Amino acid sequence: MSDSYGHDEHHPSPWGPHDWDQGAPHNSFAPIILAIGVGIFLLMFGGLFAFGEYDPSYLPMVFVGLAVIASAFIVWWRQDMSFDGTYEPRGRGVPFKNIQIRKVGVWVFLMSEMMIFTSLFSTYMRYRLGIPRCDTVFESGDWVEGVAVNCYEPASQLIASSWWHIAPGAINTFALIISSFTIVQALRWAHKPEGSVDEEVRRKRVYRYLGATWCLAVLFLTLKMVEWFIGFHVPEIGFLGIHEHEIHSLYSEGYLINNDQYQSHNYIDEATGAHMMANIRVSATMFYVTTGTHGAHVLGGIVGLTYLTYKAWTGAYKPQSAVSIEYFGLYWHFVDLVWVLVFPFFYLY
Amino acid sequence: MDKDSVLSRRLVVVAILAIAMVILPSVTSLPTGVDYGLVQDGCNCHSTAASDSVTASIDGVPESYNKSETYTLTVSFTGGPGTEGNENVGGFNLWTSAGTLTSLDSSTQLNSPQDATHAEEGNNQRSWTLEWTAPDNNESNIEFILHTNSVNGDGSASSADMWNRAEATAFGFGSEPLEDADPFKVLATLIVVSLVLLSIVVLYVFYRNNPDGFEWDRFAPWIIEWLTSTDHKKIGTLYFVQGLFFLGVGGIMAMMIRVQLSSPGNDFISQDYYNQFFTLHGTTMIFLAAMPLIAGFANWIVPLQIGAPDLAFPRLNALSFWLQPVAALLIFTGVFSGAGADTGWTGYAPYVVTETAHAGVSMWAAGQIMLVASSTLTGINFLTTIAVMRAPGMGWFQMPLFTWSILVANVMLFLSIPAFGVGLIQVLLDRTIGTAFYDVAAGGDPLLWSHLFWYFGHPEVYVVIVPAFGVISEVIATSARRSIFGYKSMVYAMAGIGLVSFIVYGHHMFTSGMSPTLRFVTMLTTMLVAVPTGIKIFNWLKTMHGGSLVYRTHTLWTLGFLVTFTLGGISGMFFPSMGMDVHLHETYFVVAHFHYVLVGGTIFGFYAAIYYWYPKMTGRMLDEKLGVLHFLTGFISYNAVFWPMHRLGVVGMIRRTHTYYITTDDFQALPEWAADWNMMISVSAFLFFASNLFLVANMIKSLIRGEKAPADPWGGWSFEWMTSSPPPTPSFDPNDIPTLKDANEHVANEPGKIGKWFQRLMVADDTAEEGSH
Amino acid sequence: MAGVTPLYDAIWEDYIIWSLFVGAIAFGWLYHHSFFYRSKDGESPNVDNLEVGVFPIDYDNLRLEVAWVILPSLLIVWLTYISWAPLDAVWSQTGPDGYHGSECAEGESSDNYVDDDGYVYSACYHEISIVGQQWFWNMDCEDLSEDLCSTDFSTSGGETRPLLNLKVGETYLARLTSTDVTHAPKFNGFGMMEDIVPGQVTFLWLPAIEEGDSLMLCAEFCGDNHAYMTAQVNVSG
Repeated sequence: MSDSYGHDEHHPSPWGPHDWDQGAPHNSFAPIILAIGVGIFLLMFGGLFAFGEYDPSYLPMVFVGLAVIASAFIVWWRQDMSFDGTYEPRGRGVPFKNIQIRKVGVWVFLMSEMMIFTSLFSTYMRYRLGIPRCDTVFESGDWVEGVAVNCYEPASQLIASSWWHIAPGAINTFALIISSFTIVQALRWAHKPEGSVDEEVRRKRVYRYLGATWCLAVLFLTLKMVEWFIGFHVPEIGFLGIHEHEIHSLYSEGYLINNDQYQSHNYIDEATGAHMMANIRVSATMFYVTTGTHGAHVLGGIVGLTYLTYKAWTGAYKPQSAVSIEYFGLYWHFVDLVWVLVFPFFYLY
Repeated sequence: MDKDSVLSRRLVVVAILAIAMVILPSVTSLPTGVDYGLVQDGCNCHSTAASDSVTASIDGVPESYNKSETYTLTVSFTGGPGTEGNENVGGFNLWTSAGTLTSLDSSTQLNSPQDATHAEEGNNQRSWTLEWTAPDNNESNIEFILHTNSVNGDGSASSADMWNRAEATAFGFGSEPLEDADPFKVLATLIVVSLVLLSIVVLYVFYRNNPDGFEWDRFAPWIIEWLTSTDHKKIGTLYFVQGLFFLGVGGIMAMMIRVQLSSPGNDFISQDYYNQFFTLHGTTMIFLAAMPLIAGFANWIVPLQIGAPDLAFPRLNALSFWLQPVAALLIFTGVFSGAGADTGWTGYAPYVVTETAHAGVSMWAAGQIMLVASSTLTGINFLTTIAVMRAPGMGWFQMPLFTWSILVANVMLFLSIPAFGVGLIQVLLDRTIGTAFYDVAAGGDPLLWSHLFWYFGHPEVYVVIVPAFGVISEVIATSARRSIFGYKSMVYAMAGIGLVSFIVYGHHMFTSGMSPTLRFVTMLTTMLVAVPTGIKIFNWLKTMHGGSLVYRTHTLWTLGFLVTFTLGGISGMFFPSMGMDVHLHETYFVVAHFHYVLVGGTIFGFYAAIYYWYPKMTGRMLDEKLGVLHFLTGFISYNAVFWPMHRLGVVGMIRRTHTYYITTDDFQALPEWAADWNMMISVSAFLFFASNLFLVANMIKSLIRGEKAPADPWGGWSFEWMTSSPPPTPSFDPNDIPTLKDANEHVANEPGKIGKWFQRLMVADDTAEEGSH
Repeated sequence: MAGVTPLYDAIWEDYIIWSLFVGAIAFGWLYHHSFFYRSKDGESPNVDNLEVGVFPIDYDNLRLEVAWVILPSLLIVWLTYISWAPLDAVWSQTGPDGYHGSECAEGESSDNYVDDDGYVYSACYHEISIVGQQWFWNMDCEDLSEDLCSTDFSTSGGETRPLLNLKVGETYLARLTSTDVTHAPKFNGFGMMEDIVPGQVTFLWLPAIEEGDSLMLCAEFCGDNHAYMTAQVNVSG
């Protein structure tokens, strides 16, 4: 596809790799494949679950959808892999002369992401403040055994009930904060001017810091799964005064989105032995969907980090192209910031 | 032969014919049987009308027959004057539509295998027995018709004899009662047929344009180019084609709605289907027609107007587009199986998350989530492009107004649509994994959906009208050969509309139990939106003052817009007034208002845009005569459709209903004329639909043999008129972007305080030199 | 106009007059300029010297622009003002400060009347309840006497629907609830409607000021049989 301004005849493949000397790709298969993949995934997801019923026969096709999405990313990355910063689109005209266009794009994207989390937080506020708390309802005695009462059970009742319980969440918080630090370090090393540092050292530092970020992100999601579904066992460490006990996952405690007959050990009337039954579906929904949305953004970050780490390993990040790490860093700091808000509001309060 | 012989031969022939004609009836009227041909309308040999005193019956006809099987039938009658001992008691004629009758004894005889009657010997009976053999395929139903005559025995055929008839049916195996046509199959057929016709036409256009290039080898590169292109012009064309196609699909659905409503109590389509049709009409028109048309023009024109070679993020732009057709497939999934979304495009909770709502709602939500993603990416792309890729000399207040309108629309879009996305995700999760966002029994709140939806929904309707405002500004200024009046206030008005639109969405929820203070505040702010809109209308009118208005089709559509949009705006002012809203809410007054602003506003604006920019985009001029025809037929039929709806709404016709009630003796409802008006609206709707075919014909004709378009056919000033028609790729040489000159004595565009601060913040010091490729 | 509240009539006329006024200005202006300023004989003199690549000369007039910001704003303030009091009337609070007083005691009558501006006043009101359900209305007169309120069924045109009998001169406060999804009773004879949101209780004033039989329809889409979810209301002496 030659253009009319006398540039060389070149036909970069729409499957990648791309020659960035000629500017951004004029053709790419990635967009249409990504759109089709998302479509397949959503279509099959609708079959996989229907009103809480799970139909495993759709699972293979859901994975097909995910595979198509993955292949679209691979095509996209094949085109991007050869990008080395010689073509970095910059602003023209006033007042944004020389501004990096991709940076502006990331900031604008983050504004829209803020709107998403704001909507989720508004939903949370509406329900949290509008539905009475389960412990308040329990103490008021305004309930009958065997009849489920609608109340708001914040996850903090379970998670913040002991240090061990909150440990995964606390570790996660530190993990994300440290990962924001590691990514800045990766950027710093990539930015160091040519000649001031040995290239092999630069390469190693950059990809190790990026790899560390990746590992911390994966740790985050792993601990989240432990907290949600797996739970863990605390061994007896006599000299520290630690008794052996089990930290139950939210799942095993019955904190689930479809649980309308939730009975927590906290809500047993001492006098009569009556056990209050609660419909906690709204609170469980709020918790899982909000923290899950954040988790999905972390997962997206992991996908991006995979690409970045691999590219760093090939030694592609030099001062000229380091700015791509900065763009990802902006997104990653945003994810961290959202967690800093989600954690206290959903885990502690 | 001599004359006399001829004459005599003819006379003989005539005589024979005459005698035969005289004899014939009496032959068949003999008590030796009657022919079915004669009895079809009644046995008029005896008397003219059937008599209730006689009861005819056929026994032995099977419910459903087997192939080639033989059945014994008994035909008989009771009553009438025919009694034992008379010379003649009665007669019959039995006709069957298929199969073979067989005479069993001498009391019956056959006129034909399907026509049996009494024989002379059987003229004095009241019942006869025959056999009937079924045909050798049992697909169809077989009819039997029996005529029996009760004779009074006086030996003559007179009116004292009485006859009657009976019928029977033997059902075939393959036959069931005829099904009603499935409206969705009809819709699918119409869509497929239109697609096929469209493809044939497109192929023909290509062929006519370049017969030699019309080869298979060139097809693969050509289609791959279109599937993978990231060029803003190609993507604009793709959006355009999608938008026009779905405009047609939405229009077909509207036609089906209008046929259903053309008379009260109509059952053209069942209410189940009707509900799905109006839901999909709304969703299709807004998300799959209006938004893509806007995106199409934005993609094409904005980079040209600001002097940018392409958008800021070309691949993301392509992704934005491709998400749309795939989303359309998802939205329409349930539809062809009759399980499409039936919640209204507003999808109110909790109905939207119940199991009573059709299965297609989940995919309707999923498809819209994809559209949210598409729109968000588009918003990011355009905001970035317009902010940082303007040509030298083009400060914020030197941008063309269409670009401003796209900027305002996109900022509004990407700030409001994520809320809608969250709402949709909540609905999708409720319907799939079983979360409890809108489960009332668990404490869920339906009004939460209303808030999330309308927080997006209201800015959304301004998102679709503001670009039309931009188009009108461009067209009216160019047509009047003047600068637009009050450029700065036009910009502030658009920005003001954008800002205020976020705080007025409560006016969709007036009747849902809002607090009085909020009601008042919303009422005031909603009314205030009329101020910036009014400013724009007055500015457009003032632009024409002192100008030299050149009448082209785009001018006509612009003037038409000014009429219909003003009317729509005025009718919109009635709603914030509570005393009237309680009566007008959810009536046809609402339907009239929003169609006036959406069709009379957005669509007319985009018709103007088509006629204005088509030469630039395709390099061909459109035919003015067809254009004027399009305008006249479209404008008149459009008003005939939607203007009467105002009155219908005032007298109480509510929307989203399968039918409507007219006043009867028992109760007062709609007046009598409401039915006639609905019929008139339906007919006009078909005319409006048809009028758009002029546009399609015009586009096709122009592609085949339209006049070649110059770079600047209308005399506009913005950069797009500098490029060739159509522009090259990339649209501008990145190394040689034109600089905008200014006819005013403005200070050279230096950034102000805020601009300088922003520049220091965002741009690193060590990249002070030119860095763009 | 039958089927609307007297208040509606009052505001409607004001609005129509202003609409005609604004419309006359806008359309008169439009038609005048469309004819008077059209290009003569096919030539199109470039009045403002529009040139490709040159941002056109400024064309504005501050005084005019300020005028058409201020004047429409004034009109809007006026329209909001005349709509304000009706807002209070439509959703009148109960109690002595409201338009309809407090709940009637046994045997007390509302004695409602319409004043010259279209406002309805009552001495007291009677409470009834309406429950919306897919896809029929359950109307309950609660503990009101037969002559004040009764429910029944009526058949017309092959359809059977619930029938609510009310007494003219009485004002009723309908307490609205739903057992499943959102509905909205629209009383065509009264010109009133209000949404019913499940999980909430909403209220609707029904002042019976005119005798007659009218239809009540469901005005918030609620599913398959939405169009046929009707009831009949009979107001009689």
